[in-house]
Amino acid sequence: MISHHPKFELIQAFVNGDLPASLSAGIAIHADMCPVCQQTIAQFTEQVAENSFEEEYLDRFIVDDNEALDTIASIDFDHMINNIVESSDIAVVVPKVEHTISFNDKTYTIPAALNSMEMGKHAHIGKLTRARIQLNENEIHTSLLHIQPGGGVPEHTHKGFELTVLLAGSFHDESGEYVKGDFIMLDSSHQHHPISTNGCLCYTVANDALHFTQGINKLLNPIGSFIY
Amino acid sequence: MQTNLLSRPTSAKSTNMSDKINHPQLCQWLESVAISRDKQAFTNLFQFFAPKILRIARGKFPNEAQANEVVQDTMSNVWRKAHLYNQDKGAATTWVYTVMRNVTFDMLRKIQGNKEDNLSDDIWPIAESMSIETEIFDDHLEHANLLSVIEELPQAQQDVVKGFYFREMSQEQLAVHLNLPLGTVKSRLRLALGKLKVQLGEQHD
Repeated sequence: MISHHPKFELIQAFVNGDLPASLSAGIAIHADMCPVCQQTIAQFTEQVAENSFEEEYLDRFIVDDNEALDTIASIDFDHMINNIVESSDIAVVVPKVEHTISFNDKTYTIPAALNSMEMGKHAHIGKLTRARIQLNENEIHTSLLHIQPGGGVPEHTHKGFELTVLLAGSFHDESGEYVKGDFIMLDSSHQHHPISTNGCLCYTVANDALHFTQGINKLLNPIGSFIY
Repeated sequence: MQTNLLSRPTSAKSTNMSDKINHPQLCQWLESVAISRDKQAFTNLFQFFAPKILRIARGKFPNEAQANEVVQDTMSNVWRKAHLYNQDKGAATTWVYTVMRNVTFDMLRKIQGNKEDNLSDDIWPIAESMSIETEIFDDHLEHANLLSVIEELPQAQQDVVKGFYFREMSQEQLAVHLNLPLGTVKSRLRLALGKLKVQLGEQHD
């Protein structure tokens, strides 16, 4: 059962469209598997929409000279309406095509939120395989990370944040067991050593390289940026 | 990340829905657009939503032209996608908000130099378990212009042009689809393109 969810502040920012694509997709993937968050999102969206389109609410924040705005509006708007209604173009919907990805001969369905994203080549290190997702978000790196049974990531911390959404399989660390759908957001105060006994596939977003903290693994620090 | 006007706590408003918005009326207009392409209903929707969308967009985009583009794109999506709105799934305001948020999200990504990849409809789908065919034209004015010129073509040529360019079907697929010999498809396409060139060329001069 899913027991790790995005906190409400994240859901708010998600609904407002204020999160980067990487984190937005992470929440969408989780919500697809989590009826509880799905409902929270639906309710909050309804609320925000209501507030957005309610005259009085907006007026509280708007410092613009209304008259000036209305003048601009009345000129552009008639033209815009005519332009739009002249078009006989109708959006055509097609059944969603499921995209799949294979890691070590296992095939997984790619979450719908990632359908239009460009996947990089697979890179391997030990029992880990990573496919980078090309989102061009500067220091934020997004990947699919596959761990073969018995594999794990050496004990590490993060300088920034690290989001893991479990897409398939399970893994555990010092804090417990994680299952499909779990939304695990860690920051620099967390130190962990995830191990996947039966293998798993994760969607990961991190805004800095991992920092390995233990013994010989410190030698791995140069490849911290490889994994996430 | 900029502060969002709407993320402030709204406990008073959120618990009891405002009675200032006439939800049944908005729904009815949206349905009229969906079912009968009712231009008056769309104009009503436009007059209700557009000024509000403009204000919200002005808060997110410093540039006036970009804020206008959000209005243009959101409302033109409302026109094109009204049939995807499902009254049982929520209020018209929620649906229009989703359309607006998606337009804004994709535009911000484009402006911030990330990518022009229109991810929003995958992240926040506006039609259930369906995806919307990606738009071929980015420039809506040009698109509208081109469409109006295409509409003037004889029906037989229109079918070929729309299938080839908007549905991205091959000439071979079109021949099967329209039940025509391949040669006919090719010659209709050639004729149509000739006419389009003349028409569009004249308008651009």
